[in-house]
Amino acid sequence: MKKVICYVNQFFAGIGGEDKADQAPYIVEGCIGPVVAIEAALEDAKVTHTVVCGDNFMGSQTQEALERIMDMLKDKDFDLFIAGPAFQAGRYGVACGNVCKAVEAQFENVLVLTSMNEENPGVDMFKKDVIIFKGGKGAVKMRQDVKVMVDFANKLLAGGTNEGAEAEGYFPRGCRHEKYLADKRENTAAYRGVQMLIKKMNKQPYQTELVIPEKEVVPIAPAIKDLKKAVIALVTTGGIVPVENPDRIQSASATRWGSYDVTGMDRLEGNIFKTIHAGFDPAAANADPNVIVPLDAMRAYEKAGKFGRLHDRFYSTVGTGTTEAEARRMAQEIIPQLVADGVTAVVLGST
Amino acid sequence: MCNLIPVSLTVGANRIVPTISIPYPLGDPNTPAEEQWKLRYHRVGVALDALATDITEQTVFKTRI
Amino acid sequence: MKLKIGNLTVKKVCLGTENAFTNGVLTIDKEAAITYLRECDDHITALDIVIANPGDDTRIVPVIEVIEPRCRVDGRTLFPGVTGDVVPAGEGELKALKGCCVTVVGKCWGSFGDGVIDMGGEGAKHTYWSKLINICLVGDTDEEFERHEQQKCNHALRWAGHRFAEYLGGIVKGMEAESFEAYEYAPVSARAAEQNGLPNVALVLQPQSQMEALGYNDLWYGWDMNKYLPTFVSPTEVLDGALISGSFMPASSKWSTYEMQNFPTIKELFAEDGKSLNFTGVILSMLNVALEQKERAAIMVANMAKNLGVDYAIVTEEGYGNPDADYVRCQVALEDVGVPVVGISNECTGRDGFSQPLVTLDAKLNALVSTGNVSELSDLPACKTVIGCLEALNRDGMSGSWGYDEKLGKSARDDGSVIMEDNNWFCGDHISGFSVKTMIEY
Repeated sequence: MKKVICYVNQFFAGIGGEDKADQAPYIVEGCIGPVVAIEAALEDAKVTHTVVCGDNFMGSQTQEALERIMDMLKDKDFDLFIAGPAFQAGRYGVACGNVCKAVEAQFENVLVLTSMNEENPGVDMFKKDVIIFKGGKGAVKMRQDVKVMVDFANKLLAGGTNEGAEAEGYFPRGCRHEKYLADKRENTAAYRGVQMLIKKMNKQPYQTELVIPEKEVVPIAPAIKDLKKAVIALVTTGGIVPVENPDRIQSASATRWGSYDVTGMDRLEGNIFKTIHAGFDPAAANADPNVIVPLDAMRAYEKAGKFGRLHDRFYSTVGTGTTEAEARRMAQEIIPQLVADGVTAVVLGST
Repeated sequence: MCNLIPVSLTVGANRIVPTISIPYPLGDPNTPAEEQWKLRYHRVGVALDALATDITEQTVFKTRI
Repeated sequence: MKLKIGNLTVKKVCLGTENAFTNGVLTIDKEAAITYLRECDDHITALDIVIANPGDDTRIVPVIEVIEPRCRVDGRTLFPGVTGDVVPAGEGELKALKGCCVTVVGKCWGSFGDGVIDMGGEGAKHTYWSKLINICLVGDTDEEFERHEQQKCNHALRWAGHRFAEYLGGIVKGMEAESFEAYEYAPVSARAAEQNGLPNVALVLQPQSQMEALGYNDLWYGWDMNKYLPTFVSPTEVLDGALISGSFMPASSKWSTYEMQNFPTIKELFAEDGKSLNFTGVILSMLNVALEQKERAAIMVANMAKNLGVDYAIVTEEGYGNPDADYVRCQVALEDVGVPVVGISNECTGRDGFSQPLVTLDAKLNALVSTGNVSELSDLPACKTVIGCLEALNRDGMSGSWGYDEKLGKSARDDGSVIMEDNNWFCGDHISGFSVKTMIEY
């Protein structure tokens, strides 16, 4: 028998409405309010505890609330965590999202689910982090919303397969993986492509298999006021490393990076540095690594006083086949080092 | 500094200085060393100026060489 | 142009002392074949022929190339400009040995673009090749200049594979075919009125051409596609051996020569030709690396489509990463000249599935077919038999495997089990159209 813990706000816990929204988190054994419906729908599982928290307490003291809840859960043994359904209730939706995200981060093997209406601001805030089922606008949809979510939980707890966001009824998370279709002509990419074109041609509805996500805008860093005071570092995705590749950075699909001292060097020499990047012909960069990491030009500007100082180390990884997620992680590891070393700007070279 | 500007635009880079190719962004080995140096020195200079330039949207800085 | 392919189904392949094909059994005179191939190229220092059947507990690695055994009935070379003179392709009659393939395998050494085939078990689903009898040509050469290079031309072994495919095809040259495929491609400006009344559809192919050094890229009539500009060609030329695969590109994103000979998207367009569309032809582009080259190719493709009166197009790329820029740019250029497009390619969303699927994106891409994710992890048990060299996974910089990883260890473990990215399955994402994979949101 699998064990389940649920989360509800003060209203669904039945202790009060707006007047009790400041309620601090507490945990009780068994089911409260809508959790009874969840338990009824569960197959081979039972609800051991319900966590309750006032929406305002969660909203205004989020960190405190989450810490207290994590503390309540830390000695509990459970397989599934369900928050809500939150319907269109904004503060409740955000609270469910926050709690689910925290549980997901802390408990590796726990399935974490919630349910909200598409109008709930919690959807956009948390759909990437948490599986949020598409729910109705209000509590009249309680039975249906609980059923969809708990059916999914029953299936997964029994070792079944997740058939994907659309088939299961939760919001797409930007998490894309392969799916094998039955091995027949109608499922080949060739057939799918030609048939999709015919539908596009005839103005019939069709479903693209890759919906282009909205572009992510990166905040613009303010301009450097005085270049003469700037400490600038060179960073590259072109795989320039000392010839022995001491950090064993991969030639493709890199997960590692390195930083290399160039103190006293006026340029990168070909017999000391090379590229290990497998995505292009390395001949030019091996002969003259400055075509990828322009140390010589930077030194010339440094000597001429155009900017303050070149950082002693350059940072390097390989960009080919490297996923955005790995690139982001590597940047998050490199940036604190640069900041700690007083670097104020970076010239990033990509290949 | 990159050659594939559409990639930089897609991932959200804000100050972009074009380079000439993927294998040799800052110096074509088929040209004399002085030419390569001129190109590299110029484009790195554009990048340094870009760092000191206020912008309001993603900007691809112009290069001459 | 009319291309007729007479098919003979191979049910079993035996190695023996004569060349014969009877009742679906292909017998290969092993010694004679090896002697012939070694005589053709004295760079080959070791050569063996090994059969791997569907369902066998066999792992083949490093796979360099896969080719369908065929011959031209008129004696013309099978791969113009490669195995023989540069002569016209796209018209005439071929004999094809169906149900099998020549699989070129490095005996000791792999390279970046080489891949893996599992014939049985869970790994079998990752490639189309596990459904075919793999006639493996396993060899080594004296091409010392690239022995320890991550990028290899693999010239001697690849050419041996093409010659061997032609050699095997020759066995059935005079025999009766069981069935025929006929591809009729009428001159575009002289088609029947009812055909011309249908929407004109072109297929834009973007074969691999990224290596600036010659010898690694796909070839068109033997011409290196890095030194090439988009051209309008007949789909029958592609099916008839004018286009062959190269050695560069992570394995799962490649099109092998077998796929060019049988290009599924071309065949599906022929199936609709004259019914729902008028198959105008193939615009054969490429995938060079520099932005200016990409821009030039996209402009030329779009203008060619416009001037040919193309109404709709399918665009497909042999690759991912940098080539995505061509794939996306070309589709946008076509949409901009009023030619709506469907794109067919794979994605790179990372092991967790959250990474950006293509390196460039554009909202104008509204009809895409996805054939797989290069970065999924495969963790598979050892196979009883290994054809080739498993250590190549750890040592030779193959695109989806590694010799060291702090969390995952090395790709080819000492017990023979493997952990690697889908990148490493030979043509595993079958962008040419064989793929029965798609990508969905989880």
